[in-house]
Amino acid sequence: MVEHGTRHRVERATRKDRNMLFMVDPHSGVPIFRQIMEQVKLAIAAGKLAPGDDLPSVRSLAVPLGVNPMTISKAYNLLEREGILTRRPGRPLMVADLPEAQLGAHRLGELENLLRPAARLARRLDIETDDAVALLRRLLTETEES
Amino acid sequence: MNVLELRGVTRAYEKGVNVLDNVDLTVAQGEVIGLLGRNGAGKTTLLRIAMGLLEPQGGSVSVLGLDPRQQPLDVKRQVGYVSEDQTLPSFLSVTEAIDLHRRLYPGWDDALAHELSSRFQMKSDQKLKNLSKGQARQVSLLCAVCHRPPLLLLDEPAGGLDPAMRREFLETAIQMLGESGTTILFSSHHMTDVERLASRLVMIHDGQKWIDSDLDDVREGYCLVMIPADSAPDSAAILSHPRCLTVRRRDDAVRAVFELEPDEALRVATGELGLTDARSMPLNLEDMFIELVGGGRS
Repeated sequence: MVEHGTRHRVERATRKDRNMLFMVDPHSGVPIFRQIMEQVKLAIAAGKLAPGDDLPSVRSLAVPLGVNPMTISKAYNLLEREGILTRRPGRPLMVADLPEAQLGAHRLGELENLLRPAARLARRLDIETDDAVALLRRLLTETEES
Repeated sequence: MNVLELRGVTRAYEKGVNVLDNVDLTVAQGEVIGLLGRNGAGKTTLLRIAMGLLEPQGGSVSVLGLDPRQQPLDVKRQVGYVSEDQTLPSFLSVTEAIDLHRRLYPGWDDALAHELSSRFQMKSDQKLKNLSKGQARQVSLLCAVCHRPPLLLLDEPAGGLDPAMRREFLETAIQMLGESGTTILFSSHHMTDVERLASRLVMIHDGQKWIDSDLDDVREGYCLVMIPADSAPDSAAILSHPRCLTVRRRDDAVRAVFELEPDEALRVATGELGLTDARSMPLNLEDMFIELVGGGRS
């Protein structure tokens, strides 16, 4: 299999570390079940969770995150409905066997979610398209160098 | 069977002034209800009526199918209750208080009691009267949950707790949910606790239920619309929209809460209501509380 881009630098989370992929912020203005859904998607997009990996159980997450177990179930159920997680009887939920093309689309989707508010801000501040694109290009170059 | 059912519950302390006015509340097994409202809104009264400590002057109450007036002991055995104030005899030591409860409740879980004593780092020999408010609250909480009751009624359980203690309380409640499927009705002014713990939100104001809805639906189904005061001369016209809950004038802006998503609310404001320069934004629980029951409403 050909590894491309920066993917080979990403380390997959070990089973033990998977609980640490999640954090919730009740102040953020985003409902907690959405925060958990986003974090699963982000972990998959970043290669920290790969197809076939088990998700932490609802109970093992609820107490350390300080969140009602039903909220975590809700996030998992919605992710299952979106085809991102797969349920197997008597086993933990796992990351679905997503094709490489879909994983690529997920990665771009995550970036798009973050950039959309930035694009809106650029319009509000009357920043020229060329300047905004140049800025992103510069940030990407700087990140590569560091 | 519902765990808790209030039908048309009415209670006044002073003739003609209803603290609770014809309130209905139905709680199913496993639900966690965050009870919100300003001080004096009737939260404590509602919890005390559910516990059978106070009789409603109108309406009916059913707790796990029992009437607290007819079967007070059976109700108390199946409910864990933490009141706003310290109600345990203050001359008892921590160990004596726990021991008293162990004798009262047949289903007492010693392992859980030990686990919580060490989590809360309890000072077993101390008299209750020498404990801080937070420490006393932890003793009450331990006594309320260790018979693993199917229903917990918690009146401001985090009142007087420091942030570390609040987190321990939260983890204890979550543990009860995970292990026993406990149903919880709790009042709180800590919106982050409500957001972490509750599955449903009930807000009471002026003796009545204002909001009774799934927490996530509340989080995503309500928003704030702000309009510069000079573009919104008529608050009443805004308030008359069926999806508008409140309108307040503050400084140079009119602030209206709509039961709509932000994009939809903006379409209503600029379209149907013809308000120019309106902006809409999501509301977190704390802001929603202030907008809905804070002062200055029209």
